[in-house]
Amino acid sequence: MNGVEMVRVVVDAEKCIGIGQCELLEPEIFRLDDETAISVVVGDGLLPCDRASLIADKCPSASISIGR
Amino acid sequence: MIDVATPSIYLDGIPHDRLGAIRDLPGLMWHPYETNGFWAVTRHVDVGEVSKHPEVYSSGIGHTNLWDLEADALEARRTIIDSDAPDHTRLRRLVSRAFTPRNIMVWEETTRSIAAELLDGFIAGGGGDWVDLVAAPLPIRVILTILGVPVEDAAFLKQLSDHLIEGTTGEMTLPDDAFGNTTPLRLLPFGSPASFAMYEYGERIGAERTADPRDDLVTHLVLAESNGDRLTPTEYKNFFQVLVFAGNETTRTAITHGAEAFAMFPDEWNRLMADPSLMESAVEEVLRWATPVMHMRRTAAVDTSLAGTEIAAGDKVVMWYTSANRDPEVFEDPARFDISRLDYEHVSFGGGGPHFCLGAFLARMEIRVLLEEMLKRNLVLSKEGEPVRAPSNFVHGVLSLDLGVA
Repeated sequence: MNGVEMVRVVVDAEKCIGIGQCELLEPEIFRLDDETAISVVVGDGLLPCDRASLIADKCPSASISIGR
Repeated sequence: MIDVATPSIYLDGIPHDRLGAIRDLPGLMWHPYETNGFWAVTRHVDVGEVSKHPEVYSSGIGHTNLWDLEADALEARRTIIDSDAPDHTRLRRLVSRAFTPRNIMVWEETTRSIAAELLDGFIAGGGGDWVDLVAAPLPIRVILTILGVPVEDAAFLKQLSDHLIEGTTGEMTLPDDAFGNTTPLRLLPFGSPASFAMYEYGERIGAERTADPRDDLVTHLVLAESNGDRLTPTEYKNFFQVLVFAGNETTRTAITHGAEAFAMFPDEWNRLMADPSLMESAVEEVLRWATPVMHMRRTAAVDTSLAGTEIAAGDKVVMWYTSANRDPEVFEDPARFDISRLDYEHVSFGGGGPHFCLGAFLARMEIRVLLEEMLKRNLVLSKEGEPVRAPSNFVHGVLSLDLGVA
């Protein structure tokens, strides 16, 4: 992974409405809670910068942002 | 002014030439409509902008259809579709769990067995009305299974759903008191007495599940609590209505236009048969091609501007998905049915934002499973006549489509 900038994704639980696009694209990183269907970041939440941007962009409720 | 609202225009198919002409105008076109016109949003980029800014373009202030509703009618008919946060968020979270990609997978085998049964019947009969034999029964049976409604009632609920479509065409065939309706039509979804029957049915099944809970979506709707709230009776019956209606009508439309497209462009079907790895993009192309819901309306919550046009608070803003899905700025050769497109950011499930179609992953799964079962049977469809279209400016509905088995 040398040379690939890794960033941390964050889910805004207030905005998330449980569509599941993130879990579909990155099941290792995002997991929809079985009860609430709100997306939760599992593990360290690290993704290559380009991939994280794409996933944030694809979230229909714009609930995913990128931290460092 | 270029008219794209008169329903009868749609009897001959989508007026792509008219929509394209609006797309090419500078800014947004003001479209007169009844006593209160709207801004026609036809470009892909502008549909995305409206969709992703619900704080500016509200779903709850007005109606999400073209016509206006009086305040009491809007309240009586309000669904998850005609809501803004925080109400929308609460309603959406109540049901989102049932429709996530992971939970939709649970229904794949059920869907596959229904699709197999319907296709075998269609093939055995040498073809016929694709809508009646395949496209309509598949999604209604699946959504009723998810809801936990007896599948024997599929034909009745499909009939009600068909009458709701009529409510968007201005060609009602039902008397006001059909199904024993006693509610003023303006208080019923689509102004249809069939909505009264849908409400009654939903209330009855809801009462049964309240008394005798099961592991199904109706039970979840009547018993679930979100932030300590339960659905009010009005919220519940509108939710039931919208799940039955949207859960069958739109996917039926996609399956119908998809089958017609594969019959019209056999080279594309041959490509899919030769290379099933094209399935994912083929499903998306079917969705783009069909665009089952042709528009949704928003109402400006504040003064704003879009594409250089000033929009005043209270103005109606209508997103023409059917135009955005043919926008040459996004889609290369947009009038071509091409199952290998990579530029498949269609807006058939909306242009993003919190109202993104709840059933998107269910619809995708149903279309994929049906195509897989068609491939398995080497089914080649032939077009035996022109589709009979619904005279609707809202749904891209087809009432019947004669297809043969080639």
